[in-house]
Amino acid sequence: MTEVIRFQILEDIQSKGQEILYPDKPRIAISMATCGLAAGAGKIYEVIKKEVKDQNLDWIITETGCIGFCQIEPLLYFHFPGKPKLFYGNLTEKKARELIKALAAGDIKQDWILWKIEDEESIINEEKYHLGKNENLKDVPLYKDYPFFAKQLKIALRNCGFIDPNSIDEYVARGGYSSFYKVINNLKSHEVIEEVKKSGLRGRGGAGFPTGLKWEMCSKEDSPIKYIICNADEGDPGAYMDRSILEGDPHSILEGMLIGAYAIGSNEGIIYVRAEYPIAIEKLRNAIKQAEGFGLLGKNILDTGFNFNIKIVKGAGAFVCGEETALIASLEGRPVDPRMRPPFPSHSGLWGKPTNINNVETWANIPPIIARGSDWYSSLGTEKSKGTKVFSLVGKIQNTGLVEVPMGISLREIIYDIGGGILEEKKFKAIQTGGPSGGCLPEDSINLPVDYDSLSEAGSIMGSGGMIVLDEDTCIVDLAKFFLGFTREESCGTCNSCREGLDASYDILNRITEGKAEISDLDLLEELSHVIIDFSLCGLGKTAPNPVLTTLRYFKDEYIAHIEEKKCPAKVCRALIHYTIIPDKCTGCGICFKLCPEEAITGKTKEPHFINSEKCIKCGICLDSCRFDAISISSGDL
Amino acid sequence: MVKLSINGQEVEVKEGQTILEAANSIGIEIPTLCYHKALSPYGACRLCVVEINHNGNIMYHTSCQFPVMEGIEVQTNTERVLKGRKIMVELMLARCPESEKIQELAEQFGVKETRFKKKDEDCILCGLCARICQERMGVGTIDFINRGIERDIKPPFETHSEICRVCGACASVCPTGARTLELKELSLREPNPILSEFNEGLAKRHPIYIPFPQSVPKIPVIDREKCIHFLLDECETCSIFCEAEAIKYDQEDEIIELDIGAIVVASGFDSFDPTAETKYGYGEFPNVITGMEFERLVSASGPTEGHIEVNGKEPTNIVFIQCVGSRDKDGNEYCSRVCCMYTAKQAHMVRDKFPDSELTIYFTDVRAFGKGFEEFYNRVQGENIIYLRRELDDTIQVVQNGNGVVVKAEGHPDIEADLVVLATGLIPREDSKELAQTLNINLSADGFFLEAHPKLRPVDTFTDGIFLAGSCQSPKDIPDTVAQASSAASRVCNILSQKELEIEATIAYVDETLCRACGFCVDACPYQAIELVRIQYLGHTTDVARVNEALCKGCGTCAAACLNGAIRQLGYTDGQILTIIKAFGEN
Repeated sequence: MTEVIRFQILEDIQSKGQEILYPDKPRIAISMATCGLAAGAGKIYEVIKKEVKDQNLDWIITETGCIGFCQIEPLLYFHFPGKPKLFYGNLTEKKARELIKALAAGDIKQDWILWKIEDEESIINEEKYHLGKNENLKDVPLYKDYPFFAKQLKIALRNCGFIDPNSIDEYVARGGYSSFYKVINNLKSHEVIEEVKKSGLRGRGGAGFPTGLKWEMCSKEDSPIKYIICNADEGDPGAYMDRSILEGDPHSILEGMLIGAYAIGSNEGIIYVRAEYPIAIEKLRNAIKQAEGFGLLGKNILDTGFNFNIKIVKGAGAFVCGEETALIASLEGRPVDPRMRPPFPSHSGLWGKPTNINNVETWANIPPIIARGSDWYSSLGTEKSKGTKVFSLVGKIQNTGLVEVPMGISLREIIYDIGGGILEEKKFKAIQTGGPSGGCLPEDSINLPVDYDSLSEAGSIMGSGGMIVLDEDTCIVDLAKFFLGFTREESCGTCNSCREGLDASYDILNRITEGKAEISDLDLLEELSHVIIDFSLCGLGKTAPNPVLTTLRYFKDEYIAHIEEKKCPAKVCRALIHYTIIPDKCTGCGICFKLCPEEAITGKTKEPHFINSEKCIKCGICLDSCRFDAISISSGDL
Repeated sequence: MVKLSINGQEVEVKEGQTILEAANSIGIEIPTLCYHKALSPYGACRLCVVEINHNGNIMYHTSCQFPVMEGIEVQTNTERVLKGRKIMVELMLARCPESEKIQELAEQFGVKETRFKKKDEDCILCGLCARICQERMGVGTIDFINRGIERDIKPPFETHSEICRVCGACASVCPTGARTLELKELSLREPNPILSEFNEGLAKRHPIYIPFPQSVPKIPVIDREKCIHFLLDECETCSIFCEAEAIKYDQEDEIIELDIGAIVVASGFDSFDPTAETKYGYGEFPNVITGMEFERLVSASGPTEGHIEVNGKEPTNIVFIQCVGSRDKDGNEYCSRVCCMYTAKQAHMVRDKFPDSELTIYFTDVRAFGKGFEEFYNRVQGENIIYLRRELDDTIQVVQNGNGVVVKAEGHPDIEADLVVLATGLIPREDSKELAQTLNINLSADGFFLEAHPKLRPVDTFTDGIFLAGSCQSPKDIPDTVAQASSAASRVCNILSQKELEIEATIAYVDETLCRACGFCVDACPYQAIELVRIQYLGHTTDVARVNEALCKGCGTCAAACLNGAIRQLGYTDGQILTIIKAFGEN
């Protein structure tokens, strides 16, 4: 096969993909990643299919991944040839049916459109595809101007929400596999590594180890067998960027791994994906099959003599499996206990062979780096943190979802510009970054640039990119307790320091929230936290006390209030709050009286009621049921 | 080789060693708990964490796992490390507050009380048991299950394991003693502990052991029938531990041939086994023990460190029965001579330990014949110890009674007892017949070795140069044994101190011209003094009998046996005897 013919294959796929992606008939793509399906996209898809069939429309109905704005799911886009792409969100079955009917009748339901895309751009080949313009839609914001997306730069998520994840053609149409093609034909392995090194890409799984350096270490190992592993054991509660990539753009991972395999000299690839991601697994299986079909995986890839196979291994559901040595143990069928490094996996990993493990998001960044060059990539971000990072923005914030932003963007921009500010206009209290082992940063950190080093200086971590926004109603001690409760259960349990230390910390926090702690417990908690960090083996133990330490650093007053005044300022900790009825507001309607499971509420009809605090279990049912805001919670002032 | 510094001290060690090994090699001690020399390091207890400076990058790692690296600077006792270790111990104490071993450990670290919430566990999850089972025993019965706070160590599916051999290796390494309690949870098989012979089976011993505290040489031996290495080719833990590399599994028993001038036989005795005498209930009731077992029980170096207990309880009613296996007309007719006195001594010791206990001794005749013995007997009688006389032919029966027993002796009221001590007698060693044949010495009717003359030659045997000492000749106590042994030693000196030995004058000689080498004389000689040798005679090769003059006692048996009249006794040829007779006749 000559190079020309080889290239022809990609060209062919690409043009076919273009035809599918931008067909000459209307196309509807529904976001059907897990977040979409959870919001009801599956039903919507059925409804639309039926509606289109009933109306005898020759339209293409397809699925796509998550575009990131999970809050407005179910979401779809409608694309009429020669016109802009139009996005409709917050769909219900009724709304979807109505929409199709309207669209079929030529009414685009302008009020429902969230944003439009007139020119679609691929980050890989910089090609702009002009979709069309509609002068009537001047008031509808462009995708790139829409507040949620305006400050985002999508590299890892480049295709999520734009292509059908089941279609290799569409992936190739947006420049997919061209980076691999470039690598295998034009670059030597050390040149690839050099390029990745120069790009400044750091591991997106949490630790932030320079990817190029990792590859180089593994490539220098002299071994006929080397393994490439994609770590898709995404475990942080609330973080789901990896899932989104796997579900929305599985080929980007395969291409990243192919490039890595070529650079490192490996013929065996494994995607370790958690079993709780069935859709991701299905998409990956399908993608691997397709890539094999086109000779992009398997033996003698594109007739270059390069062999590479990828298989999928399902993780069995422990948070700690995401730690690379534990992941290897899991692959080998051993209990998932992390082990000491050295030896590093790059030297002795899976089955004792050199192994390179990178996180999903890291792999997804590889093709754009190769395509656009390291200079382009390293021009993004800060001095020590290059490129972009995907964050899952959740909590008490207006816009929740996945956001991909250049490193160095301030927390303020993420929270207010992208996130749209705090829900119900409450006061911003803190932001928790980095998942359960991250830290809580207070209001004065709001201008902190988000990069590896600034976050770690502030006592938190980048982690895998979880961001939980907290408002004034969040009790900081309760929050620290929540995260510690998670890590103490997910610790593998090997290290005495981590297993017993986290449990002891949890106990102290528990006593604080119950008002049973003493002020000296704070020193003990801090002392213990530092020792856990020093004395534990793996990243889990070495970071698990972060929520405690950062909250002690920034919110010590709140701890002290719990201990000395027996008061929970956020009115969350059950043992320290009291429910009372405001007599002036209570109408004596009796709803609370009826609903109270403990019969703690007494009172005559049409007269103010009263809560017996001895009986009250602080379940909050009265608060939720009262239509007159007559129930108040107080803490520490009884 | 890798160079590093530990506490400022330069050290060079082999690549692949751990920091802990490097530190130990220069005498720097780092505390450990889950570390075991013969097992892969695991890093669970975190006690051995040290501070490592690698190119200015400060790290904290377990020294049992971290491999030495060129140029690293290790500090084993910084303030931060010591503080951390103390917290580790505090956490362990919080987990296992009742474990004595952990309490001891805490004390070593100056931890008096834990500041953390106490739990009710007995296992610190160090994983030693799982590792020894997997790595040394080659089994893998148990391993960790669950994670985080739920972590535990169990067989698969938390049920009895089919592969567990109940070898007890897990229990042997458990630092808190938790495994011992749970052995029965691992397997349905009955544990088969190795019982210490020296402690009369009252204590356990290891497959590699020093036979008894005063053994000479004080060197361990391996019980090949119990050692996992010899049985299954696993383990080898002892050889990994032995720094002198003294353990050689291929060592075989050796036969050492010595040229010697004399032999003292001091092979001792066996203790009478009363199992067959069912009337005593020995072997049936745990409350019935032999005098020898009682000796171990009461010994400060014994299994209970001298604390007498039966079924975990101190006995209050104790009965001694004398003449068990002695003075029996149908069995050992002789008196074992020591039992009366050792019973008196044992009763005296019990009285000393339990002043309020009831002590009864069934005796037939008390034979207190040695110096001071009668006085001691009188003293014991004055210690509220009841001596009850019974005839040897009177029946006696020990039967069960709840947790204790009842001794039913003819002519006496029944006595309830929670401990019965049988004054078992002394019997000849099992191998004494074999030894007698080898040494060509004789046995008396009771099976003990026979002396040459009961009064005149009490330490000699009929074979020159072989002497007897101690209970191999007849039951005797320590003073008598020492006396006889001294005598035997002086008899040996008598031989060895002479430059030349005088031999019998009237020995046999062979007229080689008459000898036909039939070999009758060789078989007939009771002293193995004759052997057939090959000689050249008149140009022919031929065999003849030859007498070893040093061995011949001149008994004349060979001369009588010789068919050809080829053997005669010096000074007693037929001609000489006839001449003597003739001379008598003439006078």
